[in-house]
Amino acid sequence: MATLLDWALVIIGQALITIGVFCDLAAAISMLRFPNFYTRLHALTVGSVGGAFVPIVGVAFIAAGSEFLGVYRWFLAGSSLVIAVVELLLAGSGSHAIARATHRAKAAPTQPIIVDKLEEERGG
Amino acid sequence: MRKLFKVLILSLGVFTVYIIYTGSVKLYDIATGVIVSLIVSYLTANIVIEDWRKALDLRRVATFIKFAFRYLLIDEVKAHALVIRLGLSPRLSLKPAIVKIPINSRSDYAVTMTSLAITNTPGTVVVDLTEDNSVLYVHWIYATKIEPQEAYKEVCEVFDSYARKVFD
Repeated sequence: MATLLDWALVIIGQALITIGVFCDLAAAISMLRFPNFYTRLHALTVGSVGGAFVPIVGVAFIAAGSEFLGVYRWFLAGSSLVIAVVELLLAGSGSHAIARATHRAKAAPTQPIIVDKLEEERGG
Repeated sequence: MRKLFKVLILSLGVFTVYIIYTGSVKLYDIATGVIVSLIVSYLTANIVIEDWRKALDLRRVATFIKFAFRYLLIDEVKAHALVIRLGLSPRLSLKPAIVKIPINSRSDYAVTMTSLAITNTPGTVVVDLTEDNSVLYVHWIYATKIEPQEAYKEVCEVFDSYARKVFD
């Protein structure tokens, strides 16, 4: 017998997953429309925080509110939470590593850009 | 003796994560968790922890939790709204720039937390930092301010002050 609290948890989780779907769609469209590599990294961040972290937390809420899962209920909820936190740490590190390597190797054009302080400091 | 405290503090953290991950408190899980967390923390304590007293300071933990809620509920939502609006707007009016941002955090953990917070908000990515951890070079998709101090106020003043309170 599902209680009111369980229903509330499931509904919150579904709302978070809906937000995630919207963020992923917007990230995919931005990824195609933005002009160069560095601006596309920002679309990537929308996809990896709004489109991955948020829905995984939503999965944790849904699992916590689903009584029929039995012994797997708290396993799913807990592992989703841990995965969400690890994803939040690693997504940022990954974007930074890619951006740093690309700028060092000059592998992608930075244009269009208003000002590039890093290039100026390195002596053009 | 100091290593013992480091190992115990770290294994407490690892054990908590293990129990949350397995989601059960049966004797089998607790025993496995204790053994694994002790082994892992014995191997990594010297790399991960510098000062174990900081980990027990409840004010730091409370500040960190407050920051996590504030970051996820306010800063992330604002940044997502901005970048999604930019990406879906018909005219695509971007102002990308790599700006120079001086920060006040010095310890490794504080700098890591500041730059992860900056990178994880859409619209700003940390491209590089100087050797002494004092200046970040941030690629900003909608750069309203170019000057270092003004960009600091706009992008990372909140993250930097919280990171100093938590880790420095």
